[in-house]
Amino acid sequence: MKHDFEVKIQARLDGELSEQEARRMDEWIARDAEAGALAAELGRLKGVLSRNETAAAVPESREFYWSKIQREIQRMDRSVVAARGGWSWRRWAKPLAGLAALGCVLAIVRWETSPPAFDEISATGEGMEAITFHDQSAGMTVVWLQDSTPQVKKASDAPAAPISIPDPGESEVE
Amino acid sequence: MKLAISLFLPMFLLNALAAGAADMALEAKLVWGTNDDKTDANCKPVDADLAGKLHGMFKWKNYYEITNRTAMMPLDQMCDLKMSDRCTLKLKNVGESRIEVHCIGQGKQVHEGAYMLAPTAWVVLGGNCTNNTAWFIGLRAVDDSKRAVTKN
Repeated sequence: MKHDFEVKIQARLDGELSEQEARRMDEWIARDAEAGALAAELGRLKGVLSRNETAAAVPESREFYWSKIQREIQRMDRSVVAARGGWSWRRWAKPLAGLAALGCVLAIVRWETSPPAFDEISATGEGMEAITFHDQSAGMTVVWLQDSTPQVKKASDAPAAPISIPDPGESEVE
Repeated sequence: MKLAISLFLPMFLLNALAAGAADMALEAKLVWGTNDDKTDANCKPVDADLAGKLHGMFKWKNYYEITNRTAMMPLDQMCDLKMSDRCTLKLKNVGESRIEVHCIGQGKQVHEGAYMLAPTAWVVLGGNCTNNTAWFIGLRAVDDSKRAVTKN
């Protein structure tokens, strides 16, 4: 006999089967001698156990016994909530460290991409033009202003910007 | 908590410093470049830093400082610096170490531009002058420790 059938016979004796299953098991036990013998044996064993089992006496009232269980469950729940919801800097350390790292990266990127020291916008007066030199190694930007009229350009002898222009400082130096 | 403080406190301080650095102190020099040797009291040799840079780029033998102005410029404020009787600079601090420069010569705007200034780098406007000479206006930011009040 398969073990499943043995378990079903035990379940039938314990009253754990549905009405329909119990009827089918009863019919099978009645037909099959081996099943009948096992059912009789298990029935006897159950009777012996139930008659000789020592009653476990709880030295407390039923209400007090269950209230102890309830208090223990509540205590465990509180400890779990405290562990999950309480303030702990460790919980914030990683996000804060991530934000700080992101901030540092953005600061570095901003620092690196800040525009170099040269003009972004420039305009000269009418009849004037500007030539801009960037000498990064010397750390100097020069905006050389010159008259844009052709005849003046030819007359000039300055090597960097051969020009003649209105001189803002002329009166001071003459 | 200590970790968070140690991470964010330096960033906070850096931001505070950056915000405080919105004001800008700058120095402006009117310089005359010439091949002549001048002993005039008004012709003081320009400081070695700027002179060296001008010598590296231009031909003139001597560079004399005619005017030296310093100014403290609050953010988004205009400031006029009179460099000579005929030359005035109108400057505006537009933030992030940038200034707008309007160069007025003999009552007429000859140039305007926006430049980033740093204590270690010069922005120089220049042009030819009479008798094979040249004028220069050098601008640079001044270190916080050397900040000065406007002096026109």
